[in-house]
Amino acid sequence: MTEQPPRILVLGLGNDILGDDAVGLLAARRLREILPTDVKVLESAGSGLDLLDLLEGFEEALILDSILTGQHSPGTILEFSSADFQKAVAPSPHYAGLPELLQMAERLGIPSPKTIRILACEVADPYQIREGLSDTAREALPGLLTRAQEIVDSWLPAHPSSA
Amino acid sequence: METRTITIDPITRLEGHGKIEIFLDAKGEVERAYFQVPELRGFETFCIGRPAEDMPQITSRICGVCPTAHHMAGTKALDDLYRVEPPPAGRKIRELVYNTFTLEDHALHVYILGGPDFIVGPDAPKALRNVVGVIQKVGVDVGKKVISMRRRLRDLISYFGGKVIHPVLGLPGGVSKGLNPDDLPGFKQLAEDGVEFARFTLQVFKDIVLKNPEYVKLITSDIYTHQTYYMGLVDDQNRVNFYDGKVRVVDTNGKEYAKFPIQQYLDYVGEHVEPWSYVKFCYLKPLGWKGFVDGPDTSVYAVAPLARLNVADGMATPEAQKAYEDYFTTLGGKPVHHTLANHWARVIEMLYAAERVRELVNDPEITSKEIRTLPTATPKVGIGVVEAPRGTLIHHYETDEKGLIRKANLIVATQGNSARMAMSVEKSAKGLIHAGKVDDGLLNMIEMAFRAYDPCHGCATHSLPGQMPLIVSIRDVSGRVVQEIRR
Repeated sequence: MTEQPPRILVLGLGNDILGDDAVGLLAARRLREILPTDVKVLESAGSGLDLLDLLEGFEEALILDSILTGQHSPGTILEFSSADFQKAVAPSPHYAGLPELLQMAERLGIPSPKTIRILACEVADPYQIREGLSDTAREALPGLLTRAQEIVDSWLPAHPSSA
Repeated sequence: METRTITIDPITRLEGHGKIEIFLDAKGEVERAYFQVPELRGFETFCIGRPAEDMPQITSRICGVCPTAHHMAGTKALDDLYRVEPPPAGRKIRELVYNTFTLEDHALHVYILGGPDFIVGPDAPKALRNVVGVIQKVGVDVGKKVISMRRRLRDLISYFGGKVIHPVLGLPGGVSKGLNPDDLPGFKQLAEDGVEFARFTLQVFKDIVLKNPEYVKLITSDIYTHQTYYMGLVDDQNRVNFYDGKVRVVDTNGKEYAKFPIQQYLDYVGEHVEPWSYVKFCYLKPLGWKGFVDGPDTSVYAVAPLARLNVADGMATPEAQKAYEDYFTTLGGKPVHHTLANHWARVIEMLYAAERVRELVNDPEITSKEIRTLPTATPKVGIGVVEAPRGTLIHHYETDEKGLIRKANLIVATQGNSARMAMSVEKSAKGLIHAGKVDDGLLNMIEMAFRAYDPCHGCATHSLPGQMPLIVSIRDVSGRVVQEIRR
């Protein structure tokens, strides 16, 4: 533990036995080796409130995940801010989504990131239980890592231009 | 060209998403409603050849929603596989962790997932029908209390099992970690606070839901009522037990239809396949599949809180027992067939779980160091069961003599409710769509039925942390979208 708690979080989400669903986890694992040690890198298979637990206390967070929109070719890296989800608050059958959770955190005084960026890799089939990425996802990984690094760099103190 | 299809497609990703297709006839009345979910494929292939001891970890990794349930069902299947019984402390630690998990998971549902329907209210503005609306209604202090209790309960699970998401507690014949007596005072305090929290939750439910005649009317309304069989685990006095016991099934009149050890599940549980769904619909095998029908001639059964209370003769702890009696008195006796009563039953189960946790941490045996019996038998077949928050969960493994998996089968909780859930969707659709006119309340009514069951489809793990809108597409027979409603 450092005296100064890290303020930047990189959070890889996914399930490592659901094929390409693991792309966010694998990206986080690589980034852990590359990024400065004062950037916290976590991996999680959780959702809902679990995410809030992980996000708590950070100022900036970058979430890496897979996504299945069916509207982009697999391997495409999509970028969102949490505001992109604000308009789409609908109670899901299972979990509260990020916008709701952030609003809840604010109401309850739980410190959560002011800035959240989401990088998601479009995947083709996250319903097959298996280990390892498809060729498409593996080829998309370097692009995901580069963009993730750019985002994190912009948050680091050396870049005062970051807002 | 007069048949139209309405598709309700919640475009979230891996999390428990269902897709609903509604076919209208020439007069615009609902002919059939289909409820579809994606299937996770390749489970058995993935498991074959792996050591059976890995199964509690593998199966808990399938699902980020109820990993503890899979972990525990898998661990119990290993006990059975190696013909080994955990020593009392080992069993009690498992029960402690499991009841803590159930309390936490149920609380999450009551306040966050089901809360929008009842705490905020079914007729509240859409913008408030979410967790933020719940906080607004119950107050910030209660919100803080819920979050803090959840964390503390999860800390207990982590104490024994490492990560909550991927626990590593269960071993064949016991557990990997005991309870250090030095840590007991903290757990005792947590248990007391847990009981207080469950009591408080029951009061919230009574004040907000039961004192409102409109809510009670909704709970008991025909649209949310189905007469089916019910299934759940009971102890030797036929009381609710989440961790262990025999499977009891009662009929539509609440009379015992069957009671069996889980090893006989294949004699009772049939899995019906429909061409339009990946989900296998569970039914009572001796009765044969009779379709998605209600009433005395059905072979459909339900699981989860409503079912568990229906199959039991009572609760094993005093305050929960009182709440159980109150529930059946208010709702007109056993069995209760109202789907939305699941919410109330869930709160009663919270109270039982909390009281059971308190009993266990005050049990002198809980700190014993005898937490594991080493297995010596040659493995062959192992079947384990627990009551997951969402219903009866069965793990069935077969291995070679070295304990490598040759066959693996899971009956997940949501599957037990899948037929009844399909019936609920169809009933909502039939009640709300007439002459081709789609009532605006349709989505809401169907979602309410969903949430009462607390479904977890596909045992998928997590979701991109946001939510896309629900979309209702109404298509003609050629597939052309003639109407689209977005939320």
